This record gives sequence, C-alpha cells and structure tokens, in this order.
Amino acid sequence: MTGQFAKPEALIESYVADVMKRLPTRQRNDVGFELRALLKEELRGRSADAGRLPDDEMTLQLLRGFGHPDEVAARYHPPGAPIIPANGTRAFAWASFIGVGLQWAGTLPAAMADLSAFGRWWTTYGLGALWWPGFLVTVTMIAAFVRQRWPAASDVWKPKLVDRDQINRPLYALGLAAALAGIGVWIALAWWAVTTTSDAPLAQVFAFDPGFLATRAPVVLLYWMASLVLLIVLILEGRWRDLTRMFDMGLKIACCMLLAWIAFGGRVFVAEATNAPVAGILSLLIIGLLADVAWTLWQRRERIRPPQDVPAQQGG
Amino acid sequence: MAKLPPDTSEDVGAKLEQELRRGIIVLATLSQLREPQYGYSLRQALAARGMPIEEGTLYPLLRRLEGQGLLASEWRIEDGPPRRYYKLSPHGETLFASLTQSWRGLVGIVDGLIDDEHTIRKRAST
Repeated sequence: MTGQFAKPEALIESYVADVMKRLPTRQRNDVGFELRALLKEELRGRSADAGRLPDDEMTLQLLRGFGHPDEVAARYHPPGAPIIPANGTRAFAWASFIGVGLQWAGTLPAAMADLSAFGRWWTTYGLGALWWPGFLVTVTMIAAFVRQRWPAASDVWKPKLVDRDQINRPLYALGLAAALAGIGVWIALAWWAVTTTSDAPLAQVFAFDPGFLATRAPVVLLYWMASLVLLIVLILEGRWRDLTRMFDMGLKIACCMLLAWIAFGGRVFVAEATNAPVAGILSLLIIGLLADVAWTLWQRRERIRPPQDVPAQQGG
Repeated sequence: MAKLPPDTSEDVGAKLEQELRRGIIVLATLSQLREPQYGYSLRQALAARGMPIEEGTLYPLLRRLEGQGLLASEWRIEDGPPRRYYKLSPHGETLFASLTQSWRGLVGIVDGLIDDEHTIRKRAST
C-alpha cells in the first residue's frame, strides 16, 4: 500500500507547494500544513468510497476539482483593492492607447525614411512613449489609495452642474474687461501703424495692409461689437437663454468664416515676416472654434432618449 | 466578433441555484461549528444534511471566517494525524444568532411572496 500511495502523496505535496508559494509568507506554512492534511484525508475518503487504493488518476481528479493553485490561493487570501476598478478599465485602456498613439503619430513619420532611422526611433520615442501608461498606472494607484484611505469622501456622489444656463457673472465681467482691453490694443496698434510717420522697425513690422484695412478690418470691428453686446446681455441677465445661445452659435460660425476670409483673402500685414504666420495661426483658431462648436452641440444634445421599443405616448 | 450563444435555461437555472446556495454557505457552515469540527468532518456533516460544499470552497472559507474573528481554531491530535479544529468564537456565536434571525425573517418573507404568487395563479386558473 505504501508503494502505491507514494505517488499520490507526491502529487499532493507538489500541489500544496504550488498553493503555498502564492500565499503571503506569514500564512504559507500554517495553511500548507492544514491543506496537505485535509487533501490526504479527502483522498482517503474517496478511496474508501471507491473501494480501491488511491492512484494518480484519483488524486489528480481530487486536486483538479479543488481548483487551480491561483484560485485556491485567492480563496485563502482575497486579493486587495483593485488599482483600476472594473468600471474604469475601458477608459484606462482608451487613455493609454490614445496617449501612446498620439506620441507615435507625432514622431514616427520622420523616422520612416530608412531602417536605421526607424531603429533609432524605436529605441527613443517608440519605447519612450510607454511612459504614458506608466504615468496613468501611478495616478490610478494614488487614486486607489485615496479611495481606500478615505472611502467616504470619494463615495459620495456630487452633482457636477445643476443649472447649465446660469453664468458666473464675475468671470464673465472679467472676460468683458479682457475683451475690451484686447480690442483696445488692436485698434490702438492699427491706428498707430496707420498714422505714424516714424520709420521705426516696430511701425514697419505692424503696418497693416491697406487692402485689409479697407475691406476685412471693418467686418472684424462689427464682429467684435456683436460679441461685446452678447457678453453685456449675458452679464445683465445672469444666464443663457435660447436666443442668446443661438446668437452665440451664429457668432462662432461667423467668426470661423471671418477668420478664413482674413487668413486666405489677401495680406493682413505689409511686412512679409509678420504676415507669413497669420494663415497658420488663424487656421489653428478656426480648428479650435469648430471644436468648441462641436463640443457645445454635444453638450446640448438630449442625454436620455427613450429606447426604440418604447411605445409612443397617446394624446401628447 | 462572434456573438456568444445565450445561456440555455438549464445553464441559467444551475447558475441561479448556485448563487442561491452561495449566499447561505456561511450560515450553513457556522451552524455546524457550535461544536468543534475539522475541515473534512465538517464537510461530511454538511453533506450528510443535504448541503454538500466543495472542499475547495469550504476549507479556505474556514480560514477567512477565522480571520474575521468568527471562528477560533486549535490543532489537536486524536485518533489520527494532527487536525485543525474550528469552533464558533464568542463573536461568531453572536453573529450566528443574528444571521439566523435574518435568515428566518427572509425565509418568511420569501415564502409569503411565493405563496401569494401561487394563490394568484390558482385564482386565475379556476
């Protein structure tokens, strides 16, 4: 009997050792000793039920039924708090992919010239871009620690914004002051550049093209006036209304068209060095404005819509 | 991506029954530990009363319950190899009494719900 039981015992010993190495050090010996005794007892029980001596097959069946050592160790020692909660996995994966993808998209085209350039890219920017997922893991670890340490503070739901139409009057007043100051600076600059008789380099640098001043500049002034009126109305009313939102959207779209006209409708400055970057800068502004329009429309969409299979309400 | 086939009603039934049993494993285990038991004997006792629990579930559970202060344990050598005997701790006894009360309350409520449903069906069929 002893000879036939030597192999099953070795199997149990190996299984218990596999479970033990997955447990915290302070638990290992105690759990291992008990688990080994219990498994041997289980095997004896099965052997008695089957009316035959335990063999490899019977032992393996017992051990496999008990579970993979990973699972068993997890049952003895439940895993700690997750670093990335299940509901944040998708956002984490997207943030990682987009972050790495943007870095690669920005650096890879220049390295496509030849294989050695690609090799250099891979060992520098290519692998270097992986700092981003590491950074995200560090941030989520800190967040997990905060959640665990101060659960009450992070578990309480707080509304983000109750009234989306209400405006922050002091902030808008500050915006109005900044807009007035900016408009003042541009008008003063234009007036100085037009009226000065000085040959100073600054006057030459900021000298506006006569064609711009005759046609596009007055439209810019009109746009500024309309924007100022909108800001003043908002500050006086203290909130957005449908009319002001429509007016704002119209102004943004008009601004995009105006900027495109300024950028591509002829020179803005006389000096080539000043005029050259205008189209690029204004194009970036147009992209920013279009993104803002898209974001505003996205924010204003109906957030909760009835599913398709909800029957229409009768009588209204 | 291929869509997974939906669970058959047998699968769903087995899973739901498993969940139902999982919810009462702790109470069933505590109920048998008013007297000292070691892992194997406890499993046999539960199985004999119609509550078989897999060894891979029961043995780690005993450790966890001990870690939570509900069980006390000691090694004993009686007629055989050394065995770790578990028994309800004073805290475990209090909690067991409280869980038993909750269980009886729940059973009464669910029985009432099920009986109502039976009555409604009976009335509808007659």
